[in-house]
Amino acid sequence: MSVVQNNSEKNKWYLVGILGGMGITMRHLLKNLFNKKQMETLNYPEEKYEYSPRFKGNHVLTVKKDGALRCTACMLCATNCPAECIKITAAEHSDPRVEKYPISYEIDILRCVFCGFCEEACPVDAIRMGPEWQTPGVNGTNFIYDINKLAYRPNLKGGIQTHVDDEERHKSGI
Amino acid sequence: METKLLTEFYHLEEFKGLEGYKKNGGYAELAKALKMQPQQIIDEVKASGLRGRGGAGFPTGTKWSFLPKNNEPRYLLCNADEGEPGTFKDRLMMERAPHQLIEGMIISAFAIGSKKSYIYVRGEYHYPISVLRQAVKEAYDAGFLGKNILGSGFDHDMDVYSGAGAYICGEETGMISSLEGLKGQPKLKPPFPAVQGYLRKPTIVNNVETLAAVKYIIRDGAQAYRKHGTEKSPGTKLFSLSGNVMKPGNYEVPLGYPLIDLINKEGGGMKAGRKLKAVIPGGSSAPVLTAAEVEKANLDYECLGGMGTMLGSGAVIVIDDSQCMVDMLGVLTHFYHHESCGQCTPCREGTGWLNKILHSILEGKGRLQDIELLEKVADNMKGKTICALSDAAALPVLSFVSKFREEFEFYVREGRSKVKGTTYAEMHH
Amino acid sequence: MPKCTINGKEVEVKAGSTIIEAMYQEKESIAHYCYHPGLSVAGVCRLCMVEIEGNPRVQIACNTVVTEGMKVNNTSAKVKDAVKWGLDFHLINHPLDCPICDQAGECGLQDQYMEFGKYDPEMAERKQKKHKVVDLGPTVVLDSERCILCSRCVRFTDEVSKTHELGLFNRGDRTEIGTVEGKQLDNKYSLNTVDICPVGALTSKDFRFRQRVWYLKDAETICPGCSTGCSTKVYFNKEGMFRVKPVYNESVNGHWMCDEGRATYKFINREHRLLKAKKGKSGQWSEVAPGAAAKELSGILKGTNADSLGLVLTAQYSVEEYEAIVSTFVNTFKSKKVFFWVNNKESFESFDGLLLRGDKNPNTKGLLKILDKYGLTATWGDLKSGIEKGELKTLVVAGPENQAVFPDLGEKITELSKVPKLIWLQAGKNEQLEALTGDVTLIPLKTYVEKDGTFVNHQGLEQKFKRVTTVVSEALTLDQAAQLMSGQEIKITTADTFIESNRRPDEVMLEHRKKNEFVFKRGTL
Repeated sequence: MSVVQNNSEKNKWYLVGILGGMGITMRHLLKNLFNKKQMETLNYPEEKYEYSPRFKGNHVLTVKKDGALRCTACMLCATNCPAECIKITAAEHSDPRVEKYPISYEIDILRCVFCGFCEEACPVDAIRMGPEWQTPGVNGTNFIYDINKLAYRPNLKGGIQTHVDDEERHKSGI
Repeated sequence: METKLLTEFYHLEEFKGLEGYKKNGGYAELAKALKMQPQQIIDEVKASGLRGRGGAGFPTGTKWSFLPKNNEPRYLLCNADEGEPGTFKDRLMMERAPHQLIEGMIISAFAIGSKKSYIYVRGEYHYPISVLRQAVKEAYDAGFLGKNILGSGFDHDMDVYSGAGAYICGEETGMISSLEGLKGQPKLKPPFPAVQGYLRKPTIVNNVETLAAVKYIIRDGAQAYRKHGTEKSPGTKLFSLSGNVMKPGNYEVPLGYPLIDLINKEGGGMKAGRKLKAVIPGGSSAPVLTAAEVEKANLDYECLGGMGTMLGSGAVIVIDDSQCMVDMLGVLTHFYHHESCGQCTPCREGTGWLNKILHSILEGKGRLQDIELLEKVADNMKGKTICALSDAAALPVLSFVSKFREEFEFYVREGRSKVKGTTYAEMHH
Repeated sequence: MPKCTINGKEVEVKAGSTIIEAMYQEKESIAHYCYHPGLSVAGVCRLCMVEIEGNPRVQIACNTVVTEGMKVNNTSAKVKDAVKWGLDFHLINHPLDCPICDQAGECGLQDQYMEFGKYDPEMAERKQKKHKVVDLGPTVVLDSERCILCSRCVRFTDEVSKTHELGLFNRGDRTEIGTVEGKQLDNKYSLNTVDICPVGALTSKDFRFRQRVWYLKDAETICPGCSTGCSTKVYFNKEGMFRVKPVYNESVNGHWMCDEGRATYKFINREHRLLKAKKGKSGQWSEVAPGAAAKELSGILKGTNADSLGLVLTAQYSVEEYEAIVSTFVNTFKSKKVFFWVNNKESFESFDGLLLRGDKNPNTKGLLKILDKYGLTATWGDLKSGIEKGELKTLVVAGPENQAVFPDLGEKITELSKVPKLIWLQAGKNEQLEALTGDVTLIPLKTYVEKDGTFVNHQGLEQKFKRVTTVVSEALTLDQAAQLMSGQEIKITTADTFIESNRRPDEVMLEHRKKNEFVFKRGTL
């Protein structure tokens, strides 16, 4: 980077500019003091911002009515993932109507770029990007999220139900 | 007027047995034929212009001459798997005159040089099978079958084989598969059965009526036989008249006979107060004719062929104005869906698809584009498969939909039949 | 040699060949499912439609013989329309469960619908329900809903394996593939049915759900399972080998391979491999790098008396490796005691009539040729007496790569471990070897996919194979080991240190596209 020096006459009148800037700061200070409701900032972490429902936050694996994972381990999300952060191990289910399911589903959340491609690729509404966005952790925290974390973390209250139901699909003849 | 050539003695109960049959001229032609040269018989059949009575109407003499000229064993199969809905002429022939068929078969077998023949009878025909088995036994005992028939040095064996009731086994290669003990599925052609058929040997498959008619060609000579019928469709034929007529039944009339006469004169016309609406002239797979077309139709291969339908097996199904065409087509598509052998994709999937579309219309769930879809699906099934079952399923759909479109459209719009005014559930409660 | 015109091109074909064969010959694309060059013609999928000049109806190409002057095309609107509808008929009752279907990515329905399909489905009715996850036998699982009833598998069991287990049951759109009552699909070639299944109806129990096929790379090689030496393709990725499929080779295996040969990928994978060289003395083991271990041996072996030094070879290595190690022994160590370890001697000559041979080594002929070349005639009896008399003091053994086909392995280890110093070179782990208490050195070797070489099969046919990938990069090939043991230096190239395959000519070179390469470039049926 090169520094451009401007030694023109005009620059000698800097104090006017500084006072102008101080004025703006003062105005906002007074506005916020007397009109707290319109204040633009939040007292995080006591206060939290409400994002739109379409916000792409942490992943959620949805569950079926019986509480089992909706995921069929088709690996389309893993294939589509530009960050290559999804790792699935498939296995054969004992119920022939389910046939294939993941015995392990891991997302390396530190590699994830939250692009939402996994959600788009999913043919059965098994993965969604949820509204949570706070994923802090101290050293040693496991940032590789597994099934327990993705589908059954406490704040999901037993899991989010999927829209795609196999039973209904079979009944309607699809 | 009926011309009784084959059915002359059918009213006699004794004609069923060997003695009664012989008394009325039976087995006289066999003796005559065995003194002729085989080629002479083939030439005679060729000259008579006899065409296959099973449905396709292929000239019989020509079919026989496709056999390779070598010493390979060859088989004669009689197709008595009368599966075409509306057809019941072969049953009458087998029940009333089994020896007529057997004699025709022995003559034909002698002509083509076959030492073994089979009669493949439809599984449901329990009574005709028992009659035939009895007749074959009688023929063996009387020396008409077996070694050295009537001292001519010609040996011939005959077996009656019962099918298991599959429509597709009426198709000649399907019948051959079934006879071989395989699943009754038509075989890929070429090679044609006349070159490689039963057990991969040359095989001739003929209908019951065709084989029985051979006897009368030998009796009267080709020229006398040609006096009946038209130039291109000579001879007489049995027509199975059914449906909404006063006197349904089998009638033997010369080919070229007006269809309307068959319905009104032989069949005794429509029921009182009913009007003719449509006729299926050649078994359920033949495209339907409207009442106006029926007036102009003659019962021969050319005339019906020219009108876009076919003579088929001669099953004339008469439909009067009390019948709902959508419902009728539903019955037909259900039949073809049930009977498709499942080998070729267009037929396997198409018959099911047609049936599902039609039944969703019948249940009142139809959409207007479904009618067009019916036509598209049927059009793409036509002529795309190994055998003709796909065509047989597609042609009625095409003809019903194009000729009675307003009934289909009414049904889709209103969810009930235009003719009967009721829904499907009410019609078939 | 009739001449015909195919899509405007003059073509000369073999007399009696069908139109579809002529199309194959000209590499014209034609939709088809039921036709397979190794099976009889069924003509049931009705997709290989062509228009023949002078014939108003479209015909199937697989059952129409080319005649002189025939003009054929499959690019007219009529044909394309017929194929579009044909494909739609195939798909109306297909469950379209591609996400859980193992065939997705190499599926005939997917590929051909992309190329010829209607893209405007009109089926609005209920689909036909059939059996799912039907256990056909020990190797194969059937999903009837996905089945398009091309009957390839049925014809395979009727015509090739001649075991007649499969059949078509029921009729119409209720038709299903099934096994004949009381029978299972259990023959030595059963997995070929999975290969020829154009859809995901038949899946291999061994491969099922283990990988999506687009994560796999493939490369051609030779099967080391027996002396037939079938041409095969191995499928692998960073996680290891996953399956083996046959490649058409007219003079060796045709279109097929046996189930036994398909298991030959297993011993390649890391978990079955010896990763480091191990030196053991009275039960105490230490690990060293394989190269270092071999180098260290060179001093010991050179100092050994030629009469007390022996070499035992199994017929599992390439001709080049035999040449290297035998010449090292004969020329450098001056030992003529080279012994041929014959496994399953009793069934050595047996042959099942199709592919499987009793000689479970890929290179018996090659080894015998090298032994012959150096005039080596020592027998196993000499070895036995040598050990018993104590003449043989140091023994170098090139052990079996495919341990499963060496029923006498345990017995031989006990026998050979009686020598004072045993040097055992082998690719795979073996518990018995690692439990030995004498003076033993184990050196890991590379497997057949990790090296170039030549196998000579039972007919004497020399077949070259190329390196496919590297699984254990430190492991040595037998010729590298020979060089190191004779005191020479070897050059380790970069090719040995990272995973790479024989590159396909059309391979996508961009790193970030590599993963998707198989989506775009998977071959035809």
